[in-house]
Amino acid sequence: MKLDKKLCLGIESTAHTFGVGIVDFDGNVYGVMNDIYIPIKGGLHPVLIKEQHLDNFMDTIKKALSEANCSIKDINLIAFSQSPGLGPSLKIGAIVARMLSQLLKIPIVGVNHCIAHVEIGRLMCNIEDPLTLYVSGGNTIVSAYESGRYQIFGETLDLPIGNMLDSFARDLGLSHPGGPKIEQLARESNNYISLPYVVKGMDLSFSGLYTAAKRLVESNQYEKTYDLNDVVNSLQETAFAMLTEVTERALAHTEKKEVLLTGGVAANKRLQEMIEYICNEHDARFEVVPLKFAGDNGVMIGWTGILRYKVEGGHDISETIIKPKERMDKITIPWRS
Amino acid sequence: MSHEIIKEKLVQKGAEASLYRGLWFGKEVIFKHRVPKKYRSEKLDKDIRTARTLKEARALIKIKNFRINVPQVYEIDAKNSMIVMKYIKGEKLKDLMFKLDIKKKRKYFKTIGKYIAILHKNGQIHGDITTSNIIITPNEKIFLIDFGLHDYSDSIEDKSVDLHLFKRVLISSHGKDFKSCFNAFLEGYREEHDNSELIECNKIIKNITVIETRGRYVKKEDRL
Ligand SMILES: Nc1ncnc2c1ncn2[C@@H]1O[C@H](COP(=O)(O)OP(=O)(O)OP(=O)(O)O)[C@@H](O)[C@H]1O
Ligand SMILES: Nc1ncnc2c1ncn2[C@@H]1O[C@H](COP(=O)(O)OP(=O)(O)OP(=O)(O)O)[C@@H](O)[C@H]1O
Repeated sequence: MKLDKKLCLGIESTAHTFGVGIVDFDGNVYGVMNDIYIPIKGGLHPVLIKEQHLDNFMDTIKKALSEANCSIKDINLIAFSQSPGLGPSLKIGAIVARMLSQLLKIPIVGVNHCIAHVEIGRLMCNIEDPLTLYVSGGNTIVSAYESGRYQIFGETLDLPIGNMLDSFARDLGLSHPGGPKIEQLARESNNYISLPYVVKGMDLSFSGLYTAAKRLVESNQYEKTYDLNDVVNSLQETAFAMLTEVTERALAHTEKKEVLLTGGVAANKRLQEMIEYICNEHDARFEVVPLKFAGDNGVMIGWTGILRYKVEGGHDISETIIKPKERMDKITIPWRS
Repeated sequence: MSHEIIKEKLVQKGAEASLYRGLWFGKEVIFKHRVPKKYRSEKLDKDIRTARTLKEARALIKIKNFRINVPQVYEIDAKNSMIVMKYIKGEKLKDLMFKLDIKKKRKYFKTIGKYIAILHKNGQIHGDITTSNIIITPNEKIFLIDFGLHDYSDSIEDKSVDLHLFKRVLISSHGKDFKSCFNAFLEGYREEHDNSELIECNKIIKNITVIETRGRYVKKEDRL
């Protein structure tokens, strides 16, 4: 390992992924390792997630270091996901980070997970000032940089998109995560059945859509005039058209010239196609964050930690308490101002 | 007859519609044409465009009856999802935000607050209150436009969402003046409610904070 590079070890631990990433101060990535809790049945249980993280964190760190071909002693900075997320998960990440920082006597930086999604996208896609559509299991946010912060222009008023897709898939008896399965099934249909489309300004609401789609499956017309693929296709079409509309509205409003699509749901080809379409309409450049870095990962935390560290230095241990509900628009972004 | 209707030039490509200026039997008008969006399924696209065109036209006609300035509708073509309405000469509030002094801004925001209160008291939700959807004329008349997301409702929740959307646009796009302007707006909003309506009014305003904490990070255990 070339020891002339300064290295940061980033820890992502906001929900079901315990991710470790090793990245240098110029943004070169050396190691990425994820340990993901997958529920056997039902949804995500915070306590079970926490137990898995506790059992596996050491191993995940070791694997990342070995991929990077370096030792823990080569690390110069620790970054961890401080907000927002599930309390029990966030705590594990914070405890591990504090421990490493103290043992190795190196600085520690807390990072907001949503900001990290944007920053890793800017780095990987080489994009300067995007409007970002961040769609995952826990978040649905349209954000852009304005007056020193990542402002939120639109968001969900109830369910996050990924959660809605996962829940619907679960109701159909499909295994977690449901998003990719929904994408596959939807591809088998060209039939569109009208479903509730709820957009309020740049905000959206998915709960009515979810309920109505469930009702379609329970209806006596089911498997007579339409089948499962039709319902899934209609659900996906409606939800993604809503996302595209608010993104377009935010694009017209902010007049940004670049659009970044990120989060786990960014993997969906149909969504990519729709967002790309409006980008062409508005002469904006369109980028999807490479899948490895679009879902939760430690590299995005490490890189965002580096950005903050370069301007402000590390955090005091007393500043490293977790903030499960902190919004991205509450945080100043000194490295961009 | 067609020579009486002249579409002159595209003035704006909004998120939803293309807006043309022109003449309609000698009157200066805006042609608001909701163009097909090819990214979405054809049926959904048609449904949305027709519904919103009718919604907007109905709202504009209805709201004319209140003491609020909205463009006069001249013609509706639901089939082609187009509305012909009066052209309002003036500037978007969004652009004026960079030019006006704070006193002027507060004055305008207070009046806007009153307007929205009148809408809400009459069970009308604007649905997309932003600084781009407010035009101020040279003689300082304030016009509300863009009623495509308009809705009828008497619920506190729907009214709160309406205010929340405006609040967020102010924070994200006009952060520097947000507090002062939004307070002036709420002042006007409150003033338009008489004593018997104040409890309801306060509930609406209080509920904004509830909405704000909701959309944030929904804890996974709290989800479906
Ligand atoms: N092809 C796809 N189509 C639709 N959804 C997908 C697809 N692939 C993954 N997803 C969804 O992405 C989500 C996972 O996203 P991610 O890896 O970012 O984790 P997360 O914990 O949900 O994210 P966050 O903590 O950032 O909210 C799941 O809801 C999953 O169903
Ligand atoms: N009657 C009018 N008179 C003058 N200008 C108008 C009028 N209607 C619209 N405009 C101008 O066109 C712009 C876009 O109009 P409008 O908001 O109705 O379109 P839209 O496509 O629905 O917008 P959005 O991006 O909010 O969806 C307005 O910001 C305003 O500048």
